Amino acid sequence: MLEIKKLNVSVEDKHILKDLNLNIGKGEIHAIMGPNGSGKSTIAHTLAGNPNYEVQSGQIEFHKKDLLELDPSERSLLGLFLAFQYPIELPGVTNATYLKQIVNVHRKKEGLNPIDAGEFLKLLREKSKRLDIPMDMHSRFVNTGFSGGEKKKNEVLQMDLLNPSLVIMDETDSGLDVDALKSTSEAVNQLRSSDRSFIIITHYLRLLEYIEPDFVHVFQDGAIVESGDKSVASRIDQEGYAG
Amino acid sequence: MSEKILNCSLILSDVIELEGNLTKNKINLKGEQGNFDGSIKLTDSTERLIVNLINKSDFKINLSLNIDVGPNCFLEIRDESNYDNGSDFKIESKLNKDSIFELFRLNKFNPESVNSFNHKIDLSGNCEFRDFNFSNGSQEMNSKTIISLKEQNASYIGSGAVISNSTNAKNELVINHLSKSAKSDCSFKTVSRGKSNITFSGMVFVDKDCSDTESNQISKGLVMDEEARINLIPMLDINNDDVVCAHGAASGKPDENILFYLKSRGISKEDAEKIYIEGFLGEFVDKISNEEMQKKAFNYITSIS
Repeated sequence: MLEIKKLNVSVEDKHILKDLNLNIGKGEIHAIMGPNGSGKSTIAHTLAGNPNYEVQSGQIEFHKKDLLELDPSERSLLGLFLAFQYPIELPGVTNATYLKQIVNVHRKKEGLNPIDAGEFLKLLREKSKRLDIPMDMHSRFVNTGFSGGEKKKNEVLQMDLLNPSLVIMDETDSGLDVDALKSTSEAVNQLRSSDRSFIIITHYLRLLEYIEPDFVHVFQDGAIVESGDKSVASRIDQEGYAG
Repeated sequence: MSEKILNCSLILSDVIELEGNLTKNKINLKGEQGNFDGSIKLTDSTERLIVNLINKSDFKINLSLNIDVGPNCFLEIRDESNYDNGSDFKIESKLNKDSIFELFRLNKFNPESVNSFNHKIDLSGNCEFRDFNFSNGSQEMNSKTIISLKEQNASYIGSGAVISNSTNAKNELVINHLSKSAKSDCSFKTVSRGKSNITFSGMVFVDKDCSDTESNQISKGLVMDEEARINLIPMLDINNDDVVCAHGAASGKPDENILFYLKSRGISKEDAEKIYIEGFLGEFVDKISNEEMQKKAFNYITSIS
């Protein structure tokens, strides 16, 4: 599904990702761990097409297409979803209006008519319930004044609404309390399928105890220095990256 | 103040037509071929008068209007017209004790036209003036509003927004606090596109005897294109120590992080900018307490973003 070959990425002239190689198969869950500044968020934003991340060389193929030729919206419509570490606030636009808009953009791509108000409300109620999101949150402006936990849940809600084939979760567990982590993880687990792959970026084992990965990769200085199964995460949790 | 509502329409056509039955309240306007003058005088506090101003004229509109809102009276004027041939409004208003005047202007101007709007309004004790103005700009646009809060507890709340592709717009607001315990709250936002050049100057004057004054003035601008320009000029002239006055002005380009966030959800660049602008302007639509007009303001913003 996703093939990254010899990827080199710079941010503000600083070389971050160095000859990175990574393959993600259909339905697989890959966890990425690593110390601060090792390039975890860089790979997330590069995949999503953030213009601040400059690809110097390398290739990324997603669903047999050259991902680097696509702009961020085309990548989303092709099935890629980034759950932001720091979700952006958008004052003046209510969450419900925004969510309906992104749902309709994806429906249009599928050749479907815009969702009607009643149907959308039903869908929103059902999806929000799964994440313990109160409906009144949707009448507030997008992420504006939301707590850290509410923002992260709102990211998972968007993921659920857009039905992507590749989900990149950039430290979704940071800012979540124990209960929110559990409900969010449960929602993610319900979204697991043989057609959907995940890249989970995290510092902590606790998220991976809820969402069990098929592979764990350790980033260091912009490259993968170790790959293995969940036991790699357990070892890092006990010994740290230096251990 | 009564909750009984009387709706009437003032239609600017070849001549001026009034639709609706007024009793004690009077509207006297006359003229032809776009040139109109006259007055609106409210003396009946048992009904709230809503005047819908509708432009159907083929001429440039030159309107000179005197408004007198009697004690305890309520006047609302709604102007949702298109002005294809330009306009020149000159309004002088007087609010008597305990009265309210709401003025909504959601106008679309011909980009080639020249428009001006001048409003001078005096407020007595416990009066409230609510002024909401949204426009798409035009080739030349000059707007000046002078508000004098002459007696205790007079208050003004207002929002203005101009969004334009090619305009030379000057917006001037002067708020005179001339009595103690008066309040003013003004927000101005503008979106400048193409080669637009938009200026907003907001002056708050507080006289020396005006203790317990509260004043808030915010102006923000969004510069969408390289050749677009915005000048925001907030000014305070405060002559009393017992005041709470806040002002802020900020302009800049759209936040690229917000645009990226929207695009990462499948929204095109053009639609992301539209949503951004809607959010930018929509932020202060909340200040409109009239629900029907709030909805109309949102729709207006969506239509011009």
